[in-house]
Amino acid sequence: MSRLLIVFLSVMLSSVVAQADHHIPNLGEKATEFKDEGKEAHKRDGMSHAASLILQRKMHPELLSHKRDKTLRQGVRGGVVQLSKCVECHTSVDKDGEFIPVNAPDQFCSTCHKKVGTSLDCFSCHRTTPAEEM
Amino acid sequence: MSIIRYEQTQGKSLGFYALIAGLGAFILAALAGVYYMEHNGHHVTGMSNRIVWGLPHVFALFLIVAASGALNVASIASVFQKKIYKPLSRLSGLVALALLAGGLMVLVLDLGRPDRLIVAMTEYNFNSIFAWNIILYNGFFAIVAVYLWMMFERRMNKYSRTVGVAAFTWRLILTTGTGSIFGFLVARQAYDAVMMAPMFVIMSFAFGLAFFILILMASYKWTERQLGDAIVNRLSNLLGVFVAAVLYFVAVYHVGNLYLVENSGVENFILVDGGIYTQLFWYGQIILGSLVPLALLYSPATRGNRTMLGLASVLIIVGGLVQLYVIIIGGQAYPMELFPGKEILEGYGGIAAYTPTLAELMLGLGGIAVSLIAVTYLVKFLPFLPESLADDVADPHHKG
Amino acid sequence: MKELNRRDFIKTTTATTAGVATIASGITLTTYAALPKESNPVTNEKRWGMLIDTNKLTESNIDDMVNACQEEHGWGNETHSTGDQQAGWIKKIKVKDKATERISNLALMCQHCEEPPCVDVCPTNASMKREDGIVLVDKHLCIGCRYCMMACPYDARSFVHESLTNQKTHMPRGKGTVEACTMCVHKVDKGEAPACVASVSSDAVIFGDLYDPTSKINQTLKKVQSTQIRADLNLNTGVRYSGI
Ligand code: SF4
Ligand code: SF4
Repeated sequence: MSRLLIVFLSVMLSSVVAQADHHIPNLGEKATEFKDEGKEAHKRDGMSHAASLILQRKMHPELLSHKRDKTLRQGVRGGVVQLSKCVECHTSVDKDGEFIPVNAPDQFCSTCHKKVGTSLDCFSCHRTTPAEEM
Repeated sequence: MSIIRYEQTQGKSLGFYALIAGLGAFILAALAGVYYMEHNGHHVTGMSNRIVWGLPHVFALFLIVAASGALNVASIASVFQKKIYKPLSRLSGLVALALLAGGLMVLVLDLGRPDRLIVAMTEYNFNSIFAWNIILYNGFFAIVAVYLWMMFERRMNKYSRTVGVAAFTWRLILTTGTGSIFGFLVARQAYDAVMMAPMFVIMSFAFGLAFFILILMASYKWTERQLGDAIVNRLSNLLGVFVAAVLYFVAVYHVGNLYLVENSGVENFILVDGGIYTQLFWYGQIILGSLVPLALLYSPATRGNRTMLGLASVLIIVGGLVQLYVIIIGGQAYPMELFPGKEILEGYGGIAAYTPTLAELMLGLGGIAVSLIAVTYLVKFLPFLPESLADDVADPHHKG
Repeated sequence: MKELNRRDFIKTTTATTAGVATIASGITLTTYAALPKESNPVTNEKRWGMLIDTNKLTESNIDDMVNACQEEHGWGNETHSTGDQQAGWIKKIKVKDKATERISNLALMCQHCEEPPCVDVCPTNASMKREDGIVLVDKHLCIGCRYCMMACPYDARSFVHESLTNQKTHMPRGKGTVEACTMCVHKVDKGEAPACVASVSSDAVIFGDLYDPTSKINQTLKKVQSTQIRADLNLNTGVRYSGI
């Protein structure tokens, strides 16, 4: 039991360290703009911006799946947590001005997911670029 | 009666490795088929929105049904206290587990999202007979494993009867559950029958025993152990009874359906003008899968002949697959009655087309191969098989 | 996001992150100037339904309905799927009465049953009915077993037989999962009518809250004779028909 606990704790620790790694390539078009303007994305009250970002990085799967259940099963619409908004900010644009799917290699989602070796299942169904009319 | 001694098979001969290699090839082919299907999506199969369950389900349900039937031999020994079957109990449990594993593998690999198997294990809808089946399958594994342990471990022997009874009950529920998967589909005329569940139970007896007999005879032949007529002939008789019982249930089921006006359409389809399904039903299921084996088992010319018993068992298995094909695919091919009293001119209806593809077939055969390879390996590592089943060893009343 | 409901939150959070969740709960986001508010969960005080009058519905109306649905949700142009493998959320059906030889045309889609067999059989709770009666597939949970398709008496569901890209933002669809008419839930939640209903200019198709005595659908159902398809199955469908 205690051995399990140690394994568990060290896994947690290493994942926190991985999360704290600030170098994230390819934030995506709008997100980069946002950052360059000096705005603090994902900032939460009572928390430093850096901590908020760690929280966002660490928790985004839970935030998303919590919201997805509410939206799909209870009809709760709107709010901040929406996968389409993630996609909206974090997609990049190629030379021809076309959006690159956010799950394509070296794009925002795939980079980290590949690095930490977790599957990225959202986009087997969800749209990978901002909606056509935008 | 002398003490039964169990012993592992040697598993060193060329034949053993050839068998493993052959089965392994089938499994590899199945995996290739799965990769192809899952990578491209089900459009590369013959399945569609009308035939949503195809050939893999035929194999999967066949194996699952046969699995619970294979446990019968052990049940007869423990529940009904027939001593002569006792030495076969271990093998019976093993075959049951192996067949179930093969069947479940096929079932899972044909899912649209097999990668989400974990969801099926964590999210249960207790109204769903399918979810109940998942529990029943897992429970079957557990209970049979315990049962085997009780039989293997001498100091646990005394509990083996109790566990045997539990296992027997469980397998009855399991097959009823499998049959009910169809029984609950009220809108599909072909499945709308209370007979479905009991018919599945009887089918399981026949298919499971056919598998068991084949495996028993093959393993004794290939390991050059003695297998006396006392046991084989009994099993052969039992098999005949089961096959006849299936035939009887099939007859009752179809006659019963003919009486129900709303189901007469689909009955006509299966029995008279369903093209391939009618042919499969009469030639495959009834003649090849039931009547011929019965003749082989009972006619004086072939009775007691092991080759003929083997042939009969193979035919019963083939016939069983055909039977499930007719039930599963035939039942879907016939359109649902959307507007009773009205004829649909456009938009829905007609007999749905289905042509199974190679990938589906390989996946199904791969399931059988997985079962057989599991048996082949396990009898090598654990003493499942009595070292001899010669008449004077096996039969308490044998007068030599 | 406003206040995160702490209990809900922890419930959906894995053990690993439970600690973080406790820190996070009660903390609000302030970056966005005007925070979009979340709407309230739907309730069972409403039940959405549709009434299709086959006497008024022309064949070209039905084609329009089908096209509007395809346009809205992006189904039906799967490139690899053939024939019966193609998705079909709504279809045009022509029936002839065997006794009177009268022919009627209608549009058939998921009937949004009150007692949906698809929901009963689904092993993972992926098939589900919202409080307001709309039946949906939660594709996050769907394992693609297709049992719901076996159970649906109306042939209303489709299985996605191939990989898809370029889906609509509001309508995620993907290989290996089952889908069906959503009654345009994304529009209904915004207070709009489903795409198929909007595509018919006459009142051949009425959409609304079956329970609301002031709604047009409720009042019409009280006046005209209507029926459910396969009423004998007692599924109490949300989609009703008159004139057949
Ligand atoms: S019509 Fe079919 S898919 Fe729709 S709710 Fe009823 S059973 Fe489910
Ligand atoms: S295919 Fe999906 S929605 Fe349908 S029964 Fe299976 S898991 Fe449920």
